[in-house]
Order: sequence, then C-alpha cells, then structure tokens
Amino acid sequence: MSLISLFATPDPTQTHSWILPETSEIIYGGISSTIVFALLYKFALPLAKKALSARTEKIAKEMSDAAQMRTDADTEAGDIRRAVGDIGNERTRLMAEADVQSEVLLREGRGRITVEVAELEAKAAADLVAAASRIGDELRGEIARLSSTTIDKVVRATLDDKAQQDLVESFINSVGASR
Amino acid sequence: MSDTRIESYATALVQIAQAEGVLDRIKDDMYRVARAAESSDQLRSVLNDELIPAERRQTIVESLLEGKGHPLSSHLVGLVIGSGRGRDLAAILDIVAARGASESGMNLAEVRSAVALSADQQTRLAAALSKRTGKTVDLKVVVDPSVVGGIVATVGDIVIDGTVRTNLDQLKSRL
Repeated sequence: MSLISLFATPDPTQTHSWILPETSEIIYGGISSTIVFALLYKFALPLAKKALSARTEKIAKEMSDAAQMRTDADTEAGDIRRAVGDIGNERTRLMAEADVQSEVLLREGRGRITVEVAELEAKAAADLVAAASRIGDELRGEIARLSSTTIDKVVRATLDDKAQQDLVESFINSVGASR
Repeated sequence: MSDTRIESYATALVQIAQAEGVLDRIKDDMYRVARAAESSDQLRSVLNDELIPAERRQTIVESLLEGKGHPLSSHLVGLVIGSGRGRDLAAILDIVAARGASESGMNLAEVRSAVALSADQQTRLAAALSKRTGKTVDLKVVVDPSVVGGIVATVGDIVIDGTVRTNLDQLKSRL
C-alpha cells in the first residue's frame, strides 16, 4: 500500500482528528490530569515547598554561621591585634622600666663597689702598715735579742781574769776618785 | 712577815749578842748565813721545813758557818728558825749585820763582785767607799757570778753600780 492510499482511505480505528484525541479521551484524560495535578498540588507541592524552604533555611543558616564566624574571626583578629599592640606597649614599658632599674642598680652597684674598693684599699693599706710595723717590731726585737745574746756571749768570753781584775781596779779607782 | 716583826726579831738577836759581848763577831756570821739563805732556794726550803727537827736544821746552819762561826750564831739562827720565821731569815740577819756594823761605828757595805777580791783590793775599796760616802764602812764581799764583771756596792741607801750585768741590761733596753 502506498503512502497516498493511506491518506486517502479513512481508517475506522483512527480518530476523527489527526491532531486531537477522541473526545472521551480528552474528557477522561482531562479529568485524570486534573486529579493528578490536584494530588500533586495537594501533596507533592507542600513537600517540595517544605524541602525548598528547609534547604533555603539551611543555606541561610550556613551563611549566617559563616557571617558569624567571620565576625568572630574579625573580633578575634582585632583582639589579637590589640593584644599584640598591648604586648608591644607592655614590652616597651617593661624595657623602659628595666632600663631605669638597671641604671639605678648599675649606679648603686658602682657606688657600692667604689666604696667597698676604697674600704678594701684603706684596710689593705692599714694592714700593710700594721704588718710592716709588726714585722719591723719583730725584726727589731729579734735583732735586739740576737744582739743581746751575742753581746752577752762576747762580753763573757772576753772577760778573762785580767779583764775582771781591770774592772775591779777601775771600780775602786772611780769610787775613790769621786766625792 | 711585817717589817715591825722582822725589826723586833733582829733587835732581839742584836741585844742578845750585845749582852754576850760578841756582836762584832756575830754580825759577820749573820751576814754569811743570810747570803747563803738568800742564794739557795733549797736551803730556805729546808730551814723552813718544820717536819725536819730543829736540831737537824741547826746543824745545817753550823755547817754553813764551817765551824768558823761563833757558837751563839747557830743558836740565834736556830731561834729564828725554831720560831717558824725561817722565811724571813735573810732579812732578819741582814738587819742584825747592819746593826752590828752600826754599833761598831761603821756602815755595812755589801759588795758583790764576779770574782773574789784580794785583801788589798778590799782595803782599798773600803777606803774608797768611805771616802765616797763619808762613812766608815764594814765591807762584806759576796762573790756573785750573776754580775758578770765589775762590782756593785751598797752602803745603806747608796748603790754604786759598776757591773757589766747592769751595762748589758741597759744596752739591751736601748736595743
């Protein structure tokens, strides 16, 4: 069968319009579609709206959280910057205070050391003088003792009988001569 | 012992010796015993020891006088020792010797020499001391090695020191 014949001969199984379905189909189809749409509207649309709303809220919440986090981060960054600034100031203050204290300590230490050195020098000088005096005294004493011992021995050794007699005669003559 | 008690004992001994008419002899013995007691710690200790019988101590005194002393001398010394005054024996006997010399119109001149003096030296020294002090002296010579050399003479309060010992001491002091 040719294509033309197909178009030329009406087919009883075909609808009355090549584009529109049968009227009943339209009616039943329309009713069914309405029911389907109504059901969709009734049940699916709220679910969809709800899901969409939940997602919107979730996204909004995430955005809010992110904003909050950023705010917190900014705050923390500010705190850190402030703290860094404070630390710097504190460091500067502490350094200045330490400089002052070290200067005071250094000055006091130098003064104390100067005094101590002067005292030590004076004490050393006094000790030196005392030691020299003591040693001198000891030396003089020792020399005197040795001299005395030596003189005693020499005198005794030289005092023979003749010297003794000379001394006696000298004494008698001196006593007799004086008045 | 106090000076008064020493003087009293000495006076008693002098009066006894005068009563016996032997003071001139006794004074020499007293002087010798005094020098012996003065120079020996051991002798002083023995004479003061009351555990030793008085007779024994008197015998020691007699031996000191070597039999040359007057018998009364040992008795007088024994009297002092027996009275427990041996500690002051030398002081008492020195006073007796001085009083004895004084009673003879002389002054006791104690001469300490490192060596013994000859009779001639003693005579000349006595004359020299008499001239120097203006007093007639009764010379008592003590040989004392501690003077080292020379002589020291004591007449009453007058001391004439010509000893090497004194000169050495002065030299040591200056040193």
